[in-house]
Amino acid sequence: MSPRVTSASGTPEVAPVATDFQETALAAAGDTRAFERLYRAHVARIHGLVRRMLGSDEATEVTQDVFVRAWQKIGTFRGEAAFGTWLHRLAVNVVLTRRAQLGTRRDRFIAEEQVLENLPARPASRDFSLDFESAMARLPEGARHIFVLHDVEGYRHEEIAGLLGVTSGTTKAQLHRARMLLRGHLGTGR
Amino acid sequence: MSPNRDAWTDRLSEYVDGELDPAERAALEVHLQLCEGCAGVVEELRAVLLRAGTLEASAPETDLWPAIAARIAAPRKARVLDLSDGRGRRAPRAAGPGAWQPRRWSFTLPQLAAAAVLLVMLSSVTMWAVLSRRPAAVPPLPGPSAASPVTALVQPAGFESARYDAAIADLERVLREHRSELDPATVRVIEQNLLIIDQATAQARKALAADPANRYLNGHLAAQLMRKLTLLRQATAIVAVHG
Repeated sequence: MSPRVTSASGTPEVAPVATDFQETALAAAGDTRAFERLYRAHVARIHGLVRRMLGSDEATEVTQDVFVRAWQKIGTFRGEAAFGTWLHRLAVNVVLTRRAQLGTRRDRFIAEEQVLENLPARPASRDFSLDFESAMARLPEGARHIFVLHDVEGYRHEEIAGLLGVTSGTTKAQLHRARMLLRGHLGTGR
Repeated sequence: MSPNRDAWTDRLSEYVDGELDPAERAALEVHLQLCEGCAGVVEELRAVLLRAGTLEASAPETDLWPAIAARIAAPRKARVLDLSDGRGRRAPRAAGPGAWQPRRWSFTLPQLAAAAVLLVMLSSVTMWAVLSRRPAAVPPLPGPSAASPVTALVQPAGFESARYDAAIADLERVLREHRSELDPATVRVIEQNLLIIDQATAQARKALAADPANRYLNGHLAAQLMRKLTLLRQATAIVAVHG
């Protein structure tokens, strides 16, 4: 998996792999200042992943959980992949664990599916990006996770299937469902 | 043709992602030239994909670092399990790179019930073996002794329990050293069962002191010791597997 790295302005950037490697070594030795620098370099991307997967209500706490977990596990980082990739995978695992814990709340997502179906196809606002994010947040839970992992984060179907414990046929079907629901919220019309 | 009823509609994302095989792709491209509905959906799907790929990173509204720093600065203490009040308390969980974090295992009530049933079954088999003098049903004792454990179990008088005591002492030592790795509820169940067995053992020894040649009492003592040995083996096996 080589997930996308996008700057705050939305333009692709080169991950500072060499710097990360040095900071990671320092952090693994217990240097919290080095770990803070890693946090600041990666928090926006991790927070975006968590918020899109779990929603804004959970994003703050789970983002903290991801970095605490990274601190605990950083000694296992061997540098085979970029730190950002390692951290991203760890974040996905934390998110999926939380997702399982939140299983009892799924009724809420079912209700949101109806909300999405009833949203106006064309956003009233000219801020299409915000409306697109709002529409994403209202996707059915399973379709939203797969859409975020595949189309936003760049995971392949086989990887997603392995993470979620489903077949790649299921992930393809859910991805198509998510895209079909979202296509009316682009401002491009249908 | 409406895309809602089109046989190709559900394959359009795969087409956009380049995941159709060449024959399917060629067939769909012919179809797209004839079906405006599907062609329009393909364009919309591509627009969704483009939008998703350019979503911006999303920094949290507040700085999360102070809270994270507080959490990772937690004292790196080994966990201490205090069973003095029967409830078990743990020291704060260790945090940090390389911090030792003992694995904590808990068991559900059905699992504990199953273990209890297994223990009862093993004890019953042992007792049956002792009383019926059928050596094959009795599991061997640990240790290098060449003497048959069955011989020891069924000695009609003056039952020698020293070998069992030694094996039990070894297992008790292992359990004592690793008890903090087990869930307090599991430890409580084990200790309650050991207490029951110890009480039965003490009663058997007391009765044997008055009647050393009593065959039944010797068998009963052997059975209690075997029960304790089995329970300790199970407990230390949990430690060995999960610790």
